[in-house]
Amino acid sequence: MVYSSELIKGTLKTIVLKLLADNKKMYGYEITQRVKEESGDRIQITEGALYPTLHALEADGLVTTEVEYIGKRVRKYYSLSPAGKAATRERVKEIAAFMQTMTALLDIQPKTA
Amino acid sequence: MFAITGDHIEYILHDLASRGIRTPDLQQNLVDHICILIEENLENGEDFEGYYRSVLLRFYREDLAEIEVETQFLLRHRQSLILLSRKQFLFCLFLLLVAPFIGYDLLWLIRVGPAYDYRIPLEVWGGSMVFSLFPSLIWLVLAFTPERFDPLLPKGAKVLLGWRPFLSVLQSPA
Repeated sequence: MVYSSELIKGTLKTIVLKLLADNKKMYGYEITQRVKEESGDRIQITEGALYPTLHALEADGLVTTEVEYIGKRVRKYYSLSPAGKAATRERVKEIAAFMQTMTALLDIQPKTA
Repeated sequence: MFAITGDHIEYILHDLASRGIRTPDLQQNLVDHICILIEENLENGEDFEGYYRSVLLRFYREDLAEIEVETQFLLRHRQSLILLSRKQFLFCLFLLLVAPFIGYDLLWLIRVGPAYDYRIPLEVWGGSMVFSLFPSLIWLVLAFTPERFDPLLPKGAKVLLGWRPFLSVLQSPA
């Protein structure tokens, strides 16, 4: 089951920040593939959502960039800034609390092994 | 694997620009993304333009300019640079509150020298209180307002206090 874009939209920045926290630097295509792999194909980030988000994170000073030239084309690598590291911790904490609240609110029974 | 040439890149860049992608960084990101998809899925001699057009379809719902619009929208509605938590903000206000007492009274003590008996006169206390008035009022309101009713700093809120606002204050005309 692929999750709906409405669900993913609110968590996209956090997903990207956490991935960058776990990996030193990544470029756009790499991020989409890693999310797909790690979510077992259930989260598929579209290019139309990813790149605006990366630009916003860069403008917010949460990520820094460096470019690599591959012939005539430019590959932009993203990595977390110190402010981004702090923001990642905050956002992950916030999502964890949000998930707990939703579990209670929607009366979802956690699966037991 | 398909070998992307400079001409292919020029073609993609020109096509993206004609479809409304104007931000250079966004163009470069999309070109790289598209090139990777082409290199991974196309073999030499296969139809570049046809595959490029089919790949582009998955980037948008109605037209490609959506990505540019979304990028500009997010850039316009950027989040604040967050540096201070609620507790840290209250602590800074507290420092502003006590700083005039410490600073003004210390200056007075230095000025009168060690010969004096160190009892600070009432007017010096009064002067310090004037400087502390505004921060102390803000601090009192925020500190004694329950977080759930707090109109200025709701629970978990952050306060904008970056170097940009600081610089703009310094650069503003007197």
